[in-house]
Amino acid sequence: MSGSGKPLRNNRREFLSAALVGLSPKTSRPVEGRLIDDSHLLGHKLRDRAAFPAPKQQARVPVVIVGGGISGLSAAWWLRKKRFSDFIILEMEHQAGGNSRWGENEISAYPWAAHYLPVPNRDSTLVRELCEEFGLIENGRFNELHLCHSPQERLFLHGRWQEGIEPDTGVTREQRLEFRRFEERMAAFASTGLFSIPLELRGKPSPLDNISFEQWLRDQKFDSPYLDWYVNYACRDDYGALARDTSAWAGIHYFASRQHEEKGPFTWPEGNGWLAKRLLERLGKFVRPSSMVNHLERAGRHIRVRTEQVEYQAQAVIWAAPTFLLRYVLEDPPDASGMVYSPWLTANLTLDRLPRERNTEPAWDNVIYDSPALGYVVATHQSLRSVISKSVWTYYWSLAEGTPAANRQLLLNKDWSYWKEAIFHDLEKAHPDIRQCVSRIDVLRLGHAMARPVTGWMWSDKRRRLGDWGTDIVLANSDLSGMSIFEEAQYHGVRAATRVLHRLGRA
Amino acid sequence: MAFLLLISTFLIAACGLIYELLAGTLASYLLGDSVLQFSTVIGSYLFAMGIGSFLSRYIGRGLVTRFVTIELMVGLLGGFSSTILFVAFAYTQGFRLLLYVLVIFIGALVGLEIPLMMRILKDRFEFRDLVAQVLTFDYLGALGASLVFPLWLVPQLGLVRGAIFFGILNAAVALWTTFLFEDRVGAALRLRVLCLLVMAAQGIGMAYSTHILDIADSALYADEVILARTTKYQRIVLTKWKDDLRLFLNSHLQFSSRDERRYHEALVHPGLSAVPGARRLLVLGGGDGLAVRELLKYPSVESITLVDLDPEMTHLFSTHPILKGLNQGSLTASRVKVINADAFPWLESHAGVYDFIVIDFPDPTSYSLGKLYTTAFYRLMAKHLSEGGLAVAQSTSPLFARQSFWSIAETMKQAGLKVYPYHAYVPSFGEWGFMLAGRRDYQPPTHLPQGLHFLTAAMLPSLFQFPADMGAVPAEPNRLNDQVLVRYYEREWQAVAK
Repeated sequence: MSGSGKPLRNNRREFLSAALVGLSPKTSRPVEGRLIDDSHLLGHKLRDRAAFPAPKQQARVPVVIVGGGISGLSAAWWLRKKRFSDFIILEMEHQAGGNSRWGENEISAYPWAAHYLPVPNRDSTLVRELCEEFGLIENGRFNELHLCHSPQERLFLHGRWQEGIEPDTGVTREQRLEFRRFEERMAAFASTGLFSIPLELRGKPSPLDNISFEQWLRDQKFDSPYLDWYVNYACRDDYGALARDTSAWAGIHYFASRQHEEKGPFTWPEGNGWLAKRLLERLGKFVRPSSMVNHLERAGRHIRVRTEQVEYQAQAVIWAAPTFLLRYVLEDPPDASGMVYSPWLTANLTLDRLPRERNTEPAWDNVIYDSPALGYVVATHQSLRSVISKSVWTYYWSLAEGTPAANRQLLLNKDWSYWKEAIFHDLEKAHPDIRQCVSRIDVLRLGHAMARPVTGWMWSDKRRRLGDWGTDIVLANSDLSGMSIFEEAQYHGVRAATRVLHRLGRA
Repeated sequence: MAFLLLISTFLIAACGLIYELLAGTLASYLLGDSVLQFSTVIGSYLFAMGIGSFLSRYIGRGLVTRFVTIELMVGLLGGFSSTILFVAFAYTQGFRLLLYVLVIFIGALVGLEIPLMMRILKDRFEFRDLVAQVLTFDYLGALGASLVFPLWLVPQLGLVRGAIFFGILNAAVALWTTFLFEDRVGAALRLRVLCLLVMAAQGIGMAYSTHILDIADSALYADEVILARTTKYQRIVLTKWKDDLRLFLNSHLQFSSRDERRYHEALVHPGLSAVPGARRLLVLGGGDGLAVRELLKYPSVESITLVDLDPEMTHLFSTHPILKGLNQGSLTASRVKVINADAFPWLESHAGVYDFIVIDFPDPTSYSLGKLYTTAFYRLMAKHLSEGGLAVAQSTSPLFARQSFWSIAETMKQAGLKVYPYHAYVPSFGEWGFMLAGRRDYQPPTHLPQGLHFLTAAMLPSLFQFPADMGAVPAEPNRLNDQVLVRYYEREWQAVAK
């Protein structure tokens, strides 16, 4: 009977063995790894208007999608649904996926950026359609295997782990009540339905966009340091920004946009790479990797789309790459000057053994209170195995403090060792033996990781005009929404595809 | 030379504080409530130092020799303090008493050190310099120790080896003193040999510290440990007292040979006897082969597949003479196939269909084990169940963990199964519960195999009756994304432990 624990008599023994484990000696070990990104070099060639060799080949393709991230792949997904196949996807990197890119090693697949999909609201019809196609919703039921397993989140606060990331350890009654009051306010906002996903669904201009989230909290007399940390964490996590740099409308959207029909989110070892993979299974043959577009120009009724290898003649272009890049390749780009992008750093840590835990278990999302970074997610969390001895952790760090430009400079200037030490230093607070566990740290720097919903931007005319910009060249990146979430990327991808089909008379 | 003596002061002060911190830390580790432990340990230690200082007045002649002896005693007692306390925690009920006795003794000895040191040095300094110098180095030593303890000693050496390390320092100071005061020690050679003996003992202690901890561990089991093995997955310990053999996995009792038949007969026969002609069987967990022993009592059975995570566990129960005797060689029977794999992924990657499935996992003490009690798991399991087949799952105690038990029932229902909960009394566990589940209706069988020790066909219907204090209570199903069962279980067993 390998069952039937009798915890009664054995407390003492367990206690001792826990104590003994904590007392064994340790030694330090070398760590491998590198900065894995180099696409910024390509981007900088664009920015610096470097001379690109003339392409040797020419090709005619009715529709060119630029960018193989979620918006580009969603545009393609929609075109295929409408039985249109005369298109290609040009991807700058050697692998499509964008912010849903992923990696894989001998232990697990792991994400490089986005790592979850919230359980879709009832009115997020496009996301639901995709979920049904991928088996995430079966007969109206959310597929448990893909939902994030328990325990979902934990927070290292005052020297110990607690379940959930809303601070609890050492929080006073008044501070708790403030959390409840905050929750009530957010529920009230949610009930208006205006904080919709996608936001075009029911969102509309609001004075809340004209103040920062921090200002709003202050106006509403929220002043507990724990709540302050909590909302700042949320803003850093979803927008790469502090609450003071985030539009109050966007801050509230984070808390008031989800219906929570099921305990979620959906997640996978490779994060949203799983979704990208499923899309690529269907669309991979349309993707041209390592194909950075360096020039776009209108020529009569056509558009010339130039990469280093090929010049394509297209009737329509869906620009699903970040919108700001357009100004480096097109003569008369749209005015995207108000767009702010948050710089990020992600790192994947290979652990050939797991840090010691005392009466705690790793959660999927593990957050350290008062850390400059966002914590780590565990790639093996969704495994069905009952014993896990090795793992990959994806460590997230949105560089929110200071200006994006200064932080981008920091990303460029510091070498791998600097980030490795910074990451260890942070994790050591919660895992004193982390250095003994990690064999490899790979670091990805993303200078323009995501759009930042700065105060006044969300409902500015400038942002809203961008969505309708162009007829033969249409925009599709999630940055049009001012926030980088899967649903918005998909929405803009599908919307752009619809506009293009309409233009080609195929609607 | 005066300076060298002050260095000695520094070292012995550091050692003294280290022993105090060690005792406080160990007491916190082992007894919990660190505020209480640290306060009382520090208090009694300081008090004992006062006793030591007071007693120093009774030391008259032979100051240096006394000092050397005291250093050696501190070195031995302090050096082995962690070891003694660990072993005491394992072997005796008197841990607390011993802790304070030890703290008082070490404290008193340490309290003797500084007064003696001052008296030894009194001819070399003015009185006011003496007090200033000695106390300065005394307090500096304390500062050093308080930094070294958390930053280096605990993480690098651990408490046992750390203590011995500082014990060696005490002995080294003693040895050194015999050279510094060659003229003032009588029988210097004898003292030096003594110093070396103490250091040798400490060296051996250092080398065997891991071994000592193992011994302490095994002593935590009430009975004689006849086998202890740490595998990749768990610690397997087998104990024996007279004719009672007990198996512990990670310190959880798995069976007692005195009443395991009650458990395994109750696990297997109410279900399997109701599936006449069952041919293909599956056991998930149960690497001890005891459930398989019961399954083999059915001639219709053609094959039994046993999936257990730990190869060392199944190997042990296939080869160890005593254990093989217990399961009657079931794991090496020709109808039995043993597979070492994690059950959930194994079920996902294999296609077989079985007439009877035995699920015998450890209790859901953690989220990683709780996965094996989820709607997702039972749905997957049901895909491997033949149309007329049944599955049975050990489901913890409906008496001690009532809501946990009924949560498992609800979970199986949500997975689309018909569920028939029942229970049996197993003295070494108490009231224990099981779930029979399938897509078909179930009636307790009227016939059971020959030669059972516990079950009779006549009593079967009564197993499905629940007394009022174990009856159904509302409980949520346990799902991968919301493991309520683990929380129920933790709460309920904690209440029992109190």
